[in-house]
Amino acid sequence: MPFSAEMLLNYLIIGAVLMVLGMLGFLSRRNMIVMFLSAEMMLQGTALTLVGFGRFHGNWTGQIFTIVILTVAACEASIALALILILFNRKSSLDVSLWQELREPGRSAIVDQASDAEPEPIIRGIETYPHLVPAGVEPPHPTESWTERRD
Amino acid sequence: MDTLSTADLVKLFLTIVFGATGTYLLLPHSLGKVKPKLAHFVGLVLVAVAVIAISGFWKVGKEVELVSRLFFYLFAFMAVGCAILTITSRDPVHSALWFAAVVLATSGLFLLSGAQFLAAGTVIVYAGAIIVTFLFVIMLAQKEGRALYDRMARAPFFATLSSFLLLLGLIVPLLGMRPLVLDQDGKPPQASLTGNAMVSMADRLDTTGRADLVKGTMPNHKIVLERVMGPRSTLPERTPGKAKPAHVASLGAVLFTDHLLTIELAGSLLFVALIGALAIATPKPPIRPTVGTPSTTTTA
Repeated sequence: MPFSAEMLLNYLIIGAVLMVLGMLGFLSRRNMIVMFLSAEMMLQGTALTLVGFGRFHGNWTGQIFTIVILTVAACEASIALALILILFNRKSSLDVSLWQELREPGRSAIVDQASDAEPEPIIRGIETYPHLVPAGVEPPHPTESWTERRD
Repeated sequence: MDTLSTADLVKLFLTIVFGATGTYLLLPHSLGKVKPKLAHFVGLVLVAVAVIAISGFWKVGKEVELVSRLFFYLFAFMAVGCAILTITSRDPVHSALWFAAVVLATSGLFLLSGAQFLAAGTVIVYAGAIIVTFLFVIMLAQKEGRALYDRMARAPFFATLSSFLLLLGLIVPLLGMRPLVLDQDGKPPQASLTGNAMVSMADRLDTTGRADLVKGTMPNHKIVLERVMGPRSTLPERTPGKAKPAHVASLGAVLFTDHLLTIELAGSLLFVALIGALAIATPKPPIRPTVGTPSTTTTA
């Protein structure tokens, strides 16, 4: 496929849209896993821009940069998921608003009224669960309660 | 900025407004209120209109084959639409699935722009990342129903406003830039122009280096340095009568000559991240003394 200046412009627009949508997700969502996915989406938009520029100028640099982005994204994924795991162990929740004590000095905390939230709409109908046939021998249950978990 | 016509500017502004309104309607309510079905429907329609309108700014020339053009539009629509669904889904499992679709679309666009290795690499790397994300969601998600924090957004209005203002600020210069890259005849320049210049430069460097090596007029380390650090970074071009050079081989050659330090740095970064993740995530003894000391703690 010939890669004209117009095609480069298409790639830049798509990259900008992905980047901005990732930023929106990171700013507005409160689930830490969704925030992580949004950050990855910003990286995807940037990678698209770099590959488009590299193809337009006829050199490898854009692809090399994108390989570096992939590496950094892998590192970020490992660190971020480890952090999410440890933060979930502390508060038993994925809500990022529970960590407001890490905010800047001089800012007041945002208080959520949980009572304001309406309950999840109930879906009418009969709840059905799959019937599973028990297989194998039932393992022995632990005699003492679980002590490893911190909460 | 006179290159961007007022009609285009108005169209772009309307597109951004439609997209912002639709995305705001699709995002969760800031107080966790249930949005009516009508708001979701209107939001989806507005977002669809905005996506179709922004595709009016994509220009695919007639010189592109029909199949490439079709696949470009398929992947581009898929990327933008699934990106919106990623950030607006209430369920993190759905978010992860939509993000997988975004990654697939992006690697398709990589494939269309001649980055085969990156397309495969992105799918492989992100498939692993998304499977791990699934495991985390299943492990950490609430048992019954969707969590409260998934149904509440943090300042959705101002987040949408700032994000789409940024999008406007990014796209207006891009569209205004279009005639600047054209020739005086109004034609786009050939993309391989700089590539050919670089090839000839690399050839010259190669021959002189070899000649100097034979004659012994240059210090050896200098020759080696010049041959290693010389510019080799040109995409393989298909010349008539000759087979196209191998993609991965050329990429590897560039990666291990021009960007050797980058490889070393990336390897070190991965190693550090591995150690960091292990240091963060390994379980430690309980913090509260009232829970009771487990047998793993030593009194030394």
